[in-house]
Amino acid sequence: MSSLKELQDLIHEKYGIEASALDPEASMREKGFDSLALVEFVFAIEDHFGITMPDDDPNIDTLAQLAAVVDKVRAKQTA
Amino acid sequence: MNAVAVTGLGVVAPHGDDPGHLFDALLRGDSALEPVFPELPKPAVAARAAFDESRWFTKLQLAGVDRVSQLAVAAADLAMRDAGAVGALDPERIGVFAGCGMGGAAALEAAYRGGGRVPPLTIPAFMPNAPASHVAMRQGVQGPVLTYSVACASSSVAIAEAAKAVQRGDVDVAIAGGSEALIVPGVVLAWQAMQTLASVKPGEEARSVRPFASDRSGFALGEGAAFLVLESAERARRRGARTYARLAGWGLSCDATHLTKPDAPGQARALRQALRLAGLQPRDVGYCNAHGTATRIGDVVEREALAEVWGDDLDRLRVSSTKALHGHLLGAAGALEAVATVLALHRRALPPNMHGAAVDPACALNLVAPDDTAAPDLHAAISNSFAFGGTNSVLLFCRG
Repeated sequence: MSSLKELQDLIHEKYGIEASALDPEASMREKGFDSLALVEFVFAIEDHFGITMPDDDPNIDTLAQLAAVVDKVRAKQTA
Repeated sequence: MNAVAVTGLGVVAPHGDDPGHLFDALLRGDSALEPVFPELPKPAVAARAAFDESRWFTKLQLAGVDRVSQLAVAAADLAMRDAGAVGALDPERIGVFAGCGMGGAAALEAAYRGGGRVPPLTIPAFMPNAPASHVAMRQGVQGPVLTYSVACASSSVAIAEAAKAVQRGDVDVAIAGGSEALIVPGVVLAWQAMQTLASVKPGEEARSVRPFASDRSGFALGEGAAFLVLESAERARRRGARTYARLAGWGLSCDATHLTKPDAPGQARALRQALRLAGLQPRDVGYCNAHGTATRIGDVVEREALAEVWGDDLDRLRVSSTKALHGHLLGAAGALEAVATVLALHRRALPPNMHGAAVDPACALNLVAPDDTAAPDLHAAISNSFAFGGTNSVLLFCRG
């Protein structure tokens, strides 16, 4: 189960950014997601999936890394 | 003393985002008031700013940016563009002086009434100094970035403080004004509870605010932002800038008597200070953009203050309150009305005092009539802003 596609859809819905414009392996910060925008996006992720994300992890810099964390949280929740 | 020149104007207001068009609408007496929130128990009117945030922000940039800051960023940007090539500026020599009465009301309202979890960026969205900071980030301003929260006088005070900073040489260029965006149900309810908002008659919503009229019943909320670019007259001349007007005087005083009840002697002190600083006599001033909130007490007290200072020359002073048309922008009111006053000088025309055909004898003033707006000899004009809290601010502009 990968949440990447759903996250890309959520980014498109919220920010109007196409999946093709945001390489999952690229730094999200460099694409304009500063720490405040990320906080808001994580909030939207929690609402969307009905999950609670772990506290802000400074090591998360790419969408792929974020998707991996979401996958982990969702897997734990369904376990 | 360095004279202070107004070289740029920017607005995002109920009458649009072009200062010239806005002024034309005021001259015609067009009211932007309309009914809002029909779900509220008591009818309400307000004047909203038509605003397309996508002209200034991507959706991603809007994270945690309340409407009050969006309006400020847009109006300040328009003012800087209007000022033209301000030259090679040292970022540390630019300042932002912004008035804001309440901050991000929509963000706070969403936190209370959203029905779900509180958005994580409510605090940075709500804080009253956010508009100034967003303007600073957008314009790359690294000098003083200050917020003045002085209720209805906020942005008038901000402009006066900016002029002092220009005059002292603290900054080369000041972006001075204010923003307010309070048209949300909770804030409208709070103002209704304060018994200061105009009563609303069905079919006559646009005429609800009637400054100085015998049947006046209070003000309506307006939203928007307005900024002026200030620089020394010498600098403006050097770079060949268009100068709309000079900010020649300002007066700041406090009633120190009551939190919400206005006080004529306090207002008169601010009026006298502004005249003194400009080196003018009352008879030299041809127009007053009044605070004129159309409350029962406010208009009478303002008339008293003007009568006290102008004395026998009171009839020479033509007066109007444009709040009848754009509502009360609270923290942005002083800046929007300063823009109207500057344009009155620049174009030598006066916005009329609307909806007040039946003038209250206790408010007897030389009110600008809708069919008599020309002012070919206008040389100096004042803009009054009198705040809850007792602070009075008067700006005095002269033709550049």
